Amino acid sequence: MTGAEKIIARACGLAAVAPGDIVFPVPDMVMIHDNMVPGVKRALDELGIDRLAAPEKVVMVTDHEVLYGSARAAQYGSLNRGAARAWKVGRFFDVGRGGHGHVFPMERGMVLPGMFYFDNDRHCTNAGAIGAVGFRMGMEIARVLATGTNWIMVPKTLKLTLRGRLAPGVFARDLGAHVGARIARGALPFNLDYRVLEYAGDLDQFDLAARVGLCSAPTEMGAYGVFFPPSEAILAHARRVAQQPFEPVFSDPDAAYEAQAEIDIAALEPQVSLPGGVQNAVPVSEVAGTAVDHAFIGSCASGMYEDIAIAASYLAGRRIADGVRLFVVPGSEDTTRRLVADGLMQVLLDAGAVLLPAGCGPCNDAVVGPIDSGEVSISTATNNPAGRFGARDARLFLGSPATVAASAVAGRIVDPRSAPRTDRRAGAAPAAPPTSKETVQ
Amino acid sequence: MSLPDGTPFSWTRRGRCTRLGHDVPHMGGVVPARVVSEMRYDPKDIVPFLFAETDPGFHERCRPGDVIVTGRNFGMGPKMQGYIAMQALGLGLVCESMPFLAYREAVGLGLPVLTDCPGISDACATGDEVEVDFLAGRFVNHTRGTERAVPAVPAGLREIIALGGTGNWLRRWWQRQGAAERA
Repeated sequence: MTGAEKIIARACGLAAVAPGDIVFPVPDMVMIHDNMVPGVKRALDELGIDRLAAPEKVVMVTDHEVLYGSARAAQYGSLNRGAARAWKVGRFFDVGRGGHGHVFPMERGMVLPGMFYFDNDRHCTNAGAIGAVGFRMGMEIARVLATGTNWIMVPKTLKLTLRGRLAPGVFARDLGAHVGARIARGALPFNLDYRVLEYAGDLDQFDLAARVGLCSAPTEMGAYGVFFPPSEAILAHARRVAQQPFEPVFSDPDAAYEAQAEIDIAALEPQVSLPGGVQNAVPVSEVAGTAVDHAFIGSCASGMYEDIAIAASYLAGRRIADGVRLFVVPGSEDTTRRLVADGLMQVLLDAGAVLLPAGCGPCNDAVVGPIDSGEVSISTATNNPAGRFGARDARLFLGSPATVAASAVAGRIVDPRSAPRTDRRAGAAPAAPPTSKETVQ
Repeated sequence: MSLPDGTPFSWTRRGRCTRLGHDVPHMGGVVPARVVSEMRYDPKDIVPFLFAETDPGFHERCRPGDVIVTGRNFGMGPKMQGYIAMQALGLGLVCESMPFLAYREAVGLGLPVLTDCPGISDACATGDEVEVDFLAGRFVNHTRGTERAVPAVPAGLREIIALGGTGNWLRRWWQRQGAAERA
């Protein structure tokens, strides 16, 4: 079996599962996000269901709308707090208490290698970064909350082997977008719809943040899961922060995959996704020089400490260009505190960045930090369809945290390899790419 | 098994075939985009718009038991309005393939649906009289006098469909919980 299949089988109490099986996993955890709570509460109330099957397993997070920018949002906040009380939710992370539900649980040892959990939101695929399985339920999370499980069809798994090492100035988001583009073009023989994409090969170069960055593009293209075999560094992190025992899981050597492919990543250049979708990735040189108005670093794909530290290395001692607004949204409150503690917050503020509370930031329908008609944005959002940040005729580009930060300084899209860089982290070597040792902490 | 209003549920649909092509999007191809964006969930607000942009008047011509047969990749996107209308009209849906989330929505709304039926488009044409046994996995074209096997509804999903969807399933589950506690 593949790693994901083993995790699903264990959650079902079965010795084995195979793609296509309809099974009922009993999750280790159930996550529900603030934007979904009111609808799910209403649906269960209408059925008269007033208690949850396993409230102690439930983690309710506040990430989609952290800053109440409207009366409606404040009302949703009240509904969230009321639901948490009525349902006796085990762990409720209110405004300012945790951060992004697809980020902080891995940092804090709530999501651990080998775990299976249900989540209403599809970016729970991030769990694959640590070697766990998060499974999206949408509104059907209501049935999980009420009964303790729900049906799933065991997905097929695809295996992508990465060979080589990313060059300096090239990061996981560049690779993720490139993989998405190759699949979209048909250059990789993968249909991602409801598949698990398992990465293999030279993975030790990717720390937790980078693995998270590699989960996003496949998810946006329909993948239901991403899976990484946990590295020694990942396991060391998990052991250090674990809030419960865990058992890492790896794919069998003879595991069956729907399709397999291998790519060489050593020559990859920084990528920028053109407006319309993360899969529209091209080398940054094709769009270099495009003036930008709006920039955003964060999202469940690029909001970990390491992502923001990379961005800060392009902002240190510099100012973002006049006419550009840069929003930085850490993935977790813990990361915000760490940025303060090690001085990187000062770097961000001195550069002129606007810091927003941990969560989705503009990536959730631009409830904060929207964009005006005709403006141009470059960001680390998970995707860039027209209208995602507000005005439908705004042009939205995606890049790595490095590309976004360097572009915000320049006032136009630039290749981060040509931008000055100063790494201010303690012990960090200037101009060096991060290594797994220094970044998985 | 029966629907909440007491209507007995039948796993067989027999009626007129409407055959659609490949890559029919949910928005536009099944129901107008506004029916989705306005988040309509009441069947009476959706039924008049089923296939409104591609087959005007469909909802008046179709009869319970009629079967929609589609090509590959039917109903892209996790949208539910079209399946609400099909279920309310007593139709069945047989697809060469669907994105998984579209399939999940259709099941969750209690629509008799089959996917992964490659080549099914070649087995019928619009206007044929067809019969589908969703439980046995049998597709009969009475007009042509042909029959073929199709993958049946998986056992684990039958109760949801027979009860008319996840909402009804949950309602019955909760009632049984209460009954068990009172016993």
